[in-house]
Amino acid sequence: MVHASTPPLEMYDYGVIKKFSIMAIIYAVVGFLVGDLLAWQLTFPDLNFDSPYLSFGRLRPLHTSAVIFAFGGSVLFATSYYVVQRTCKARLFSSALTNFTFWGWNIIVLAVVITYPLGLSQGKEYAETIWPIDVLITLVWVAYFINFVGTLAKRKEKHIYVANWFYLAFIITVAVLHLVNNAAVPVNWTDSYSLYSGVQDAMIQWWYGHNAVGFFLTAAFLGLMYYFVPKQAERPVYSYRLSIVHFWAIIFLYIWAGPHHLHYTALPDWASTLGATFSIMLLLPSWGGMINGIMTLSGAWHKLRTDPVLRFFIISLSFYGMSTFEGPMMSIKAVNALSHYTDWTIGHVHSGALGWVAMVSFGALYHMVPRLYGTTIYSKGLINLHFWLSTIGVVLYITAMWISGVMQGLMWRAYDEFGNLTYSFAETVAAMHPYYLIRSVGGLVFLLGSLVMVYNVYKTIRQAPDRAARA
Amino acid sequence: MKHDTIEKSIPLMSILVVLVISIGGLVEIVPLFYLDSVIEKVEGMRPYTPLELKGRDIYLREGCYNCHSQMIRPFRDETERYGHYSLAAESQYDHPFQWGSKRTGPDLARVGGKYSSLWHQEHMRRPRNLVPESVMPNYPWLEKNSLDYADIAKRMEVMQTIGVPYSASMIQNAVADLEAQAIPDSESDALLERYGDKVVLDDFDGDAKRITELDALVAYLQMLGTLVDFSAYTAQER
Amino acid sequence: MADEKKPVETTGHQWDDDEGYPLKEYNNPLPKWWLYTFYATIVWAVIYWVFFPAWPTLSGFTKGTLGWSQYKQLDEEIATAKAAQKPFDDQLAKMSLKEISQDPRLLQYAISGGKAVFGDNCAPCHGSGGIGAKGFPTLVDDDWLYGGSLAAIHETIDSGRTGAMPAHLEAHDGSFNTAQVENLTDYVLSLSNQPHDAAQAFKGKALFNGEAGCNGCHGDLGNGSLKGTMEGEALEASVGAPNLTDGIWLYGGSRKAINQSIAKGRNGKMPAWGSGFEGFGRKLDPLSIKEVSLYVHTLSGGSF
Repeated sequence: MVHASTPPLEMYDYGVIKKFSIMAIIYAVVGFLVGDLLAWQLTFPDLNFDSPYLSFGRLRPLHTSAVIFAFGGSVLFATSYYVVQRTCKARLFSSALTNFTFWGWNIIVLAVVITYPLGLSQGKEYAETIWPIDVLITLVWVAYFINFVGTLAKRKEKHIYVANWFYLAFIITVAVLHLVNNAAVPVNWTDSYSLYSGVQDAMIQWWYGHNAVGFFLTAAFLGLMYYFVPKQAERPVYSYRLSIVHFWAIIFLYIWAGPHHLHYTALPDWASTLGATFSIMLLLPSWGGMINGIMTLSGAWHKLRTDPVLRFFIISLSFYGMSTFEGPMMSIKAVNALSHYTDWTIGHVHSGALGWVAMVSFGALYHMVPRLYGTTIYSKGLINLHFWLSTIGVVLYITAMWISGVMQGLMWRAYDEFGNLTYSFAETVAAMHPYYLIRSVGGLVFLLGSLVMVYNVYKTIRQAPDRAARA
Repeated sequence: MKHDTIEKSIPLMSILVVLVISIGGLVEIVPLFYLDSVIEKVEGMRPYTPLELKGRDIYLREGCYNCHSQMIRPFRDETERYGHYSLAAESQYDHPFQWGSKRTGPDLARVGGKYSSLWHQEHMRRPRNLVPESVMPNYPWLEKNSLDYADIAKRMEVMQTIGVPYSASMIQNAVADLEAQAIPDSESDALLERYGDKVVLDDFDGDAKRITELDALVAYLQMLGTLVDFSAYTAQER
Repeated sequence: MADEKKPVETTGHQWDDDEGYPLKEYNNPLPKWWLYTFYATIVWAVIYWVFFPAWPTLSGFTKGTLGWSQYKQLDEEIATAKAAQKPFDDQLAKMSLKEISQDPRLLQYAISGGKAVFGDNCAPCHGSGGIGAKGFPTLVDDDWLYGGSLAAIHETIDSGRTGAMPAHLEAHDGSFNTAQVENLTDYVLSLSNQPHDAAQAFKGKALFNGEAGCNGCHGDLGNGSLKGTMEGEALEASVGAPNLTDGIWLYGGSRKAINQSIAKGRNGKMPAWGSGFEGFGRKLDPLSIKEVSLYVHTLSGGSF
């Protein structure tokens, strides 16, 4: 590592980043654990244990919220605070706001962990949080926006770095999505009814739902990528021009893609068409991020042999490219007719969520943690082990889901020689059992990988040079 | 305008982001509120009875939507398997909608009347007793928990403020109507007067003495997809 | 692609240069393949919008030149399928169940359709292949509650059946005390040659054929409404009272299960799938009901 000058570490607020990083790792393990339990429940339904608090319907939202908002959210708080400070050479705008975002976000997660198993839910996917939690999310988000923008305003370099464009767009858009989708009239302190109903609610929900993917899990993590990949590869970003074009294209086009979750439903045809066509147009702008990431490595490919952190980045970009190709393909009406309602969708989501979001997050954490604590990573070998466990886990998971999804979709529409349905629904469920087992094992392998990371990060922090750095 | 200008100004970049991300949502969402063609003209739709509404709350609480859709797509196989494709009109009083996104279990849009309440009782206790292939969890607590319906009128009032056509008498008589539907052989004329004579009256949980959560959930399931009169329906361009 | 061959400059801006390698940006041109493929997707979208419903307006939406809608697509799909099945369906509609059952090719067709209907509509209660479950009769034996003829099966499916076994115990609004229900239980156990208390069964028999009136439905010999008689008169077959002597039990044949049936009554319900379906319209069309009747009939080997 070349040190250009003495790092003015005291200039930055690293405390909150350390805290968010540690919470991210804890939430990763919890989120993966709950997810894998769900996978086993689908394989062996007795694992629901006849308990309301452990039943699939209540735990599934806990899994999705834990991985997206608790793990993903903590990674984004940690990395955006790290990136914005370092690229602006400025300390975070307000330590009060910083603390409020940390404690607020973790109280939200705690509230989710308590309320979901109790069955307190708005009944909207990825937006199950009851209205008082929604209010708290809004407050934390406003604080986050002010803190982020306030830090940007203190920047030394006039040009805002591209990573921060993505973080900024993510923060603004998520605020809009959250406020509109969660509009509801309370009945009491826990229950409320959505302001919208039926077809309008469906459209708003998937406008929200798809852009939770688009902005939370794509745009924001591209911001992360734009900092950590060039930094780890020690190479300049491939193309500034491509950054500009694909940034504006991605945020303009992504918003339209929601209706592809509602093909062939009671949503009007015209809306469905817009969803499909804009999803197709989204393909190349999405790939812009992958090109910029991977091409940044040109001239530095040899580093992949020695640097397992870089390997995490490259595989995450590969999965990103694959799932952003698969997504537009699945948004074509004829393909969606087969894939919708099946495990293919689940496989697609996980190739994005595990392959892209989780892997790029692991890379960023491995890059960041030693620097935060002024040390080096405890074991490169363990990073490598984590890399392989993650990769094997994801591959098992998504191939199992592809097979079971395509198979079930085909079985639903299979006709015999007389033109009558060949399979009953129950028969299609029975046929998926082996793939559910493979998926459960894949998830378990991925979970084991994250435990390796826990150990490695723990040992890294333990070896930090002084107690102050550890705090 | 050169991009240089944008990337040097936080306010400019923020405003442009807001503009750019607003267009898609506005074009796709707003027309759904003003176009007449979005919700079909049908006969037979009515608001949920108080018992069905409580049942729907339980459906949301247990996260049934994670595994069951309520949206029959206009495909031959789906209409043969589940019945007439779902209309927008059929979920117009659903706050929030429950179309679902995954069919780990079958579609429930027209499950109403398909099976006896006795079947639902057994099935909720342990689905694999009846359907060995099933991966659905057991829901033994539903028949144990008494239904808490003290706030049913309040819930209907809230629904009324967001556009569900509950009448004053429906709200006033919410508790009586709920009990009339769940308790066998009770005086139900007033309930049928208010909600129509297609309302299913049954001892939904198999326990005539108590009103349980299972009563409410089964009442909701038994009504799904039975409201619209398809003999009076012709497809409309939308 | 080694660096030396590429004379591309960075933009000149630099970030985070305190520690490690600073962030810089090359200004490579947009990859050509990327740009042209992006244009191609835009062209594709525009063409799609011309042909299909796409853009909302103030009073409606652009319909597209093909006049396509998802519901028209369904209509065409169904019309094609119906046309292919028409030769069979026309015959199925015309012919009686018995005639169909004697035409092997037509029967094969009907069974294929019946099996499809059965799998999603009937199997949840009656089990895969009609194996049955507690409270939901098996269809693979020749023990029938309402008759196993094609006509009886068809009637059961089309109009539904409701069990009418009343509760007998006082606590469940019946007219008998615990001891009397016990006596009846012993008598019913004796009918299928199971262990029982003979003295209690003797008392139970008197109740069965007397005060409790069980024989009105189950017959003087307890052999059910299909076969049984009361004082020489044939019983009303549509009552559906089971034969208590054959060791086949819908709700279980243990002492406890029989006792429960007598004490609390049993009111199993077969929904009506034809004209009597609750709510509007029919759940299954007449042809499907014919098909599934024939399918169920073959499960048990059938009787006429």
